[in-house]
Amino acid sequence: MVHRILRVDHAGEFGANRIYAGQMAVLGRSKIGPLIQQMWDQEKKHLAKFNEILSENRVRPTALLPFWNIAGFVLGASTALLGKEGAMACTVAVEESISEHYNSQIRVLMEKDPERYTELLQVIKEFRDDEMEHHDTGLEHDAESVPGFWLLKNVIQLGCKAAISISERV
Amino acid sequence: MYVNFRYQAESPKSDVARRLSVLLDMATLLRGLRAAGALRGLGGVLAAPTATNPQFCRLRRGFYCAALRLQDESKSDKASSSSSSSSSTSYHEHYQAHSAQQDTAGQHHSDPAAEGTSSSADGQSEYQDEEYESEEQLQARILTAALEFVPLHGWSMEAIAAGAESLGLSSASTGMFINGSGELVLHFIADCNTKLTEILAEQHNQVQLGQAEKKKTSEFLRDAVETRLRMYIPYIETWPQAMSILLLPHNIPDSLKHLSNLVDDIWYYAGDRSTDMNWYTKRAVLTGIYNTTELVMVQDSSPDFQDTWAFLDNRIQDVVNMATTAKQVQSTGEAVVQGLMGAAVTLKNLAGLNQRR
Repeated sequence: MVHRILRVDHAGEFGANRIYAGQMAVLGRSKIGPLIQQMWDQEKKHLAKFNEILSENRVRPTALLPFWNIAGFVLGASTALLGKEGAMACTVAVEESISEHYNSQIRVLMEKDPERYTELLQVIKEFRDDEMEHHDTGLEHDAESVPGFWLLKNVIQLGCKAAISISERV
Repeated sequence: MYVNFRYQAESPKSDVARRLSVLLDMATLLRGLRAAGALRGLGGVLAAPTATNPQFCRLRRGFYCAALRLQDESKSDKASSSSSSSSSTSYHEHYQAHSAQQDTAGQHHSDPAAEGTSSSADGQSEYQDEEYESEEQLQARILTAALEFVPLHGWSMEAIAAGAESLGLSSASTGMFINGSGELVLHFIADCNTKLTEILAEQHNQVQLGQAEKKKTSEFLRDAVETRLRMYIPYIETWPQAMSILLLPHNIPDSLKHLSNLVDDIWYYAGDRSTDMNWYTKRAVLTGIYNTTELVMVQDSSPDFQDTWAFLDNRIQDVVNMATTAKQVQSTGEAVVQGLMGAAVTLKNLAGLNQRR
């Protein structure tokens, strides 16, 4: 069970990295570039931490990594093409998905055995707080003013849910 | 678990109360089904014990004790689900048939009430005692004893029967094994994997303590595969039969699981800590090397299997060469791209396109 949690978290951080990479590829030289770069750097730290945890616990990474590589980049780049608001909307949708997901993982681990998983819980809580910060930053920077925000947000979150359930198993 | 269906045709109670009672019935039914399903699942788990990991065995002993307790409770109820109790009672029948010969096992199973009273925590310490041997332990003992007779009888029920007799048990205890030859081979393989893991862990410790040199990856893999395959040498005559048993459809999931654990262990101790697609490619490559070397080994007639180890050397060398070539191709590609970019910039300069007017 812990292996599934770690596998999907690793896949999630990897995907988030690629999304920000896609956004930077399009908007890197615009005004919003430094902000996206800053959020991307935080995700890089998250990914490094999960790489460490995965190898310590001998967890198999998800076999769909090449797919998330491309899909994440394409998602980031295509939403960035909608402008700065589009990129922020994508960030809001993804970070909300991820925060919800981290919260449910925290609940599961707390139910199971909080003492045994203290370190992991600590890590997940910290990362969840970071993701919520990204979500709020996205909202601050006019994410909601993109045309079709509701549709875009729900489509992206549906994709995230599918990605999460597949990555737990494959 | 007593499942209670109450149907009230004409109820003076209100609609809400009736719906509530139906919901309660459904909840009780679900609880009963879930417990029955758990028992059936437990029965299934106990039907094919292949793990020899002691921690896993302790867990299973706990499950088995819990299963007996639950099964006891369900037997005393009238409307218990018959299918779940039948799977657990079959074990009881086996043991009762051999109770004359297996006094200890008979005692263990004809007196479940005594177990039922002890908590699982106490039960585990009791199971360390010789008197309370669990079913998995007994099966493991018989299978280990049966290995001695494999060169004579092959991987079959006869070997298991001979093994049981050598322990002083009746040869009828083969009835315990539904998938006899499969369980025997899988038990042997799990045993070999455990031994290999111990050897690799020991080597790892020695390197950590500085008492031994760290081997190169290719050398490490070569030694690990050779050590593991050498464990087959005493049984090499009958090994083709074992391999074909492992390829039977009902054995494939377990044999694949053992193979993947083996390869994962070898790579872990070789120092692999990758968390990307390399994780998969490395294990796939090593699985290929291991399987082909095993096939070469069963038809090798050279002294001390020299041809096999030479084959293994060559395969590992192939992989190393492929990796080196891949790296070379990549760096060549990068150099070519850089050269082209440089040529393009030069051309732009020559054509004056880079000037700012």
